[in-house]
Amino acid sequence: MHSRQTIIDKFSTFIQFDAERFHSWVKDGRLRRSIQSCINKNPEETSDDVWAIYWYKRWQKEQSSVAQQHLNAFLQEPCYWSSQKLAQSFSATQYSLADFFQIGITQVERILKGFNPSQGFVLKNYASTIFSSVIRETLRQRHEVDICSTWGMLRKTSQKRLIESLEAAGLSKETITNYTNAFNCYQLIYVPSQTNTSRKLARPDEKTWNAITKAYNMQAPSSKINAQTLESWMQTCASSIRNFLYPPVTSINAPTGSEDTYEIIDNIPSNENSPLLEIIAEEEQQARNSQLSEIGQVLVEAVHKLELEAQQILKLYYIQGLTQQQIAKKLDIPQYTVSRRLNKIREGLLKVVFTWSKEKLHITVTSDILKSMNSVIEQWLQVYYSSGAYVSN
Amino acid sequence: MLVINDLILEIPQQAFDEAWDSQVYSNPIARYQAYINELCLSSILPWLQQDLATQAKVFYNTTASPSFWELVNGTVINVDSIKIILVPQETIDLSELRVPQEWVDIPGLVGDYYLGVQVIPEDRCIRVWGYCTHLQLKMSGIYDSYTRTYAVDASNVNDINILTFAISSEFIEPTRAEVLPLPALSTTVAQNLITRLENADIVSPRLSIPFQTWGALIENGGWRRSLYQHRIGQPEQSIIEWLRNGVTQAAQQLGWSNLNLQHVGAARSIQQMAPTSILARQLTIAGQIYELRIIPQVNEEYTTWRFELSSGKVGIIPGGFKLRLLTEDLQAFPDNEDIATTATEHLFVEVALEPGEGIVWEIEPVPENYDQEILRF
Repeated sequence: MHSRQTIIDKFSTFIQFDAERFHSWVKDGRLRRSIQSCINKNPEETSDDVWAIYWYKRWQKEQSSVAQQHLNAFLQEPCYWSSQKLAQSFSATQYSLADFFQIGITQVERILKGFNPSQGFVLKNYASTIFSSVIRETLRQRHEVDICSTWGMLRKTSQKRLIESLEAAGLSKETITNYTNAFNCYQLIYVPSQTNTSRKLARPDEKTWNAITKAYNMQAPSSKINAQTLESWMQTCASSIRNFLYPPVTSINAPTGSEDTYEIIDNIPSNENSPLLEIIAEEEQQARNSQLSEIGQVLVEAVHKLELEAQQILKLYYIQGLTQQQIAKKLDIPQYTVSRRLNKIREGLLKVVFTWSKEKLHITVTSDILKSMNSVIEQWLQVYYSSGAYVSN
Repeated sequence: MLVINDLILEIPQQAFDEAWDSQVYSNPIARYQAYINELCLSSILPWLQQDLATQAKVFYNTTASPSFWELVNGTVINVDSIKIILVPQETIDLSELRVPQEWVDIPGLVGDYYLGVQVIPEDRCIRVWGYCTHLQLKMSGIYDSYTRTYAVDASNVNDINILTFAISSEFIEPTRAEVLPLPALSTTVAQNLITRLENADIVSPRLSIPFQTWGALIENGGWRRSLYQHRIGQPEQSIIEWLRNGVTQAAQQLGWSNLNLQHVGAARSIQQMAPTSILARQLTIAGQIYELRIIPQVNEEYTTWRFELSSGKVGIIPGGFKLRLLTEDLQAFPDNEDIATTATEHLFVEVALEPGEGIVWEIEPVPENYDQEILRF
């Protein structure tokens, strides 16, 4: 995959995969025209990070889908790199790089919702942290679900996930409420006896089905059901949950219009007259940049002070993209040791940034700021270890 | 969005082997709930005790936990004065942190932090995946009336390393929202409810009566414990019976024992009772051993009961200590309290009680593993 060079390309092209590999960058005509007209008004701005903030603020202000699509295009590369790193370490699975990319790129909206430029986030970096963690997390969930029986999986699903799955399956609101209530009765009443573990839970026996149905009917006096119905409801829930975890590959990543198509709504972006500078306070940006680099210094020092094993773990996690399990195997220590160390490391880095903020910035650190700091640290770790800067001491 | 920092902890082997049978519960549902909570607790405790950056004391109430587990999901642990509610689930997807209403809307049970834990018995481990504060639960949690739970979306759940940092540093934040007191229950109503809910076939007593009533019932430790005992078919015996037949096993677990004492000028014996038979319970207060005794004071027409607190080794009760008795619905009454204005040998309160009446004792400072218990006479 070759990186894009121009602002126009970065904000208006999408990856096309051929089988499992990168094939080419596909242009979207509408987006191209949109970004071109913005560039015409601000020809001197060449930093893609600044343009990213511009489109982010447009997205925030206007809730416009054009802004979101520009950012989707922009984030193709971070998503690709995150996917590639994980694909390398997960090489023995049935997943390809394209699969990982697909999982990641659905997160763009969530990324935008969590993005916080005033707290020192850089969109590319923040997005990378989310792509990595979501891909890993999705893989973990799929694996754990795959080794469950249907009945175990029903037990191990959250109400929120159930509702999302039923909504995605197109069920009516009323049906979803009924199914959810039945599901809660199922989870309440059908518990594993010690010899059946939850994971491989067998189909409930008739006595249990009757108990579940009875509990459901007690709370639904006007629309009682029988045990067979309830069981079929649970079957529907189970298949919806599985389908939700494996969404069909739609054209999430497809460009919205071909290169030549002209659409009337193309005019909307060019009606936006706010020059770039009004939207992004220049001094604010500079102050943020210098703050970020100071935090970076503080973090570099902190990381160098870590014990050798801790530094090793960080490298394996961030450079090679290994899972905790893989790291454990490589270092010949138990997984929970890796887990605890990682938590300790992150706790320690947070403490360092917290202390620095109090002393240098004289701010009161609130919970929200603390959370932002944590995210900035995560972003920094990703960048630090992928940049090769860790090599120099 | 939560950046998933997976904290996987091992469930210690011994705890894993023993958790299934460690206590008695009313039915398989309660028992499984207790099992999951025990596994969670036994994994979290050593992690906090070993990994926290401070010398904070990490502890939980051993006597109260089983009665909670019988009735509601969740475990309370304390890190010094910070209260953390563990909320174990088996859910694979970590889309939401769902907390039973009991831990959110009952003033006496509210915590500072709520920890989401996925328990995986099959792999003998747990996944501590995030936390939120009570404030967040009240402000951004969505209440579900069917399950009587509050759910916080994963996007509002925070990374664990922030919690471990926060509780072991000088970072402070408001953690609790205001919670209104629940309407008081009378003893009669409470006892009726306990009778109504004692049937182990009622799989979910917490959903069987209105929340306000339920909350008031279990906020009172004595009633909660009583409901638990009734549900497992071991309703607590009266003090008279303890004196006659020896304390029950449940009482022994609390630390009660029968004692025979030589009193100078002993009162005449009560029929069917050993002349100088009393009850004693050992307590640990601020690291020292004390003993609470219940001594029948027999008079011509009636018996009064003397609750006496004395010290174990040290022999002295420090100034500032208080011994207090309350009615079963936690009301004070005249002369129900003795305070050590200076260091003293004993604190005592004497009461005359009707048969069947219940008494709750309290001590300040609060003893370790203290849970209100109703002593019935």
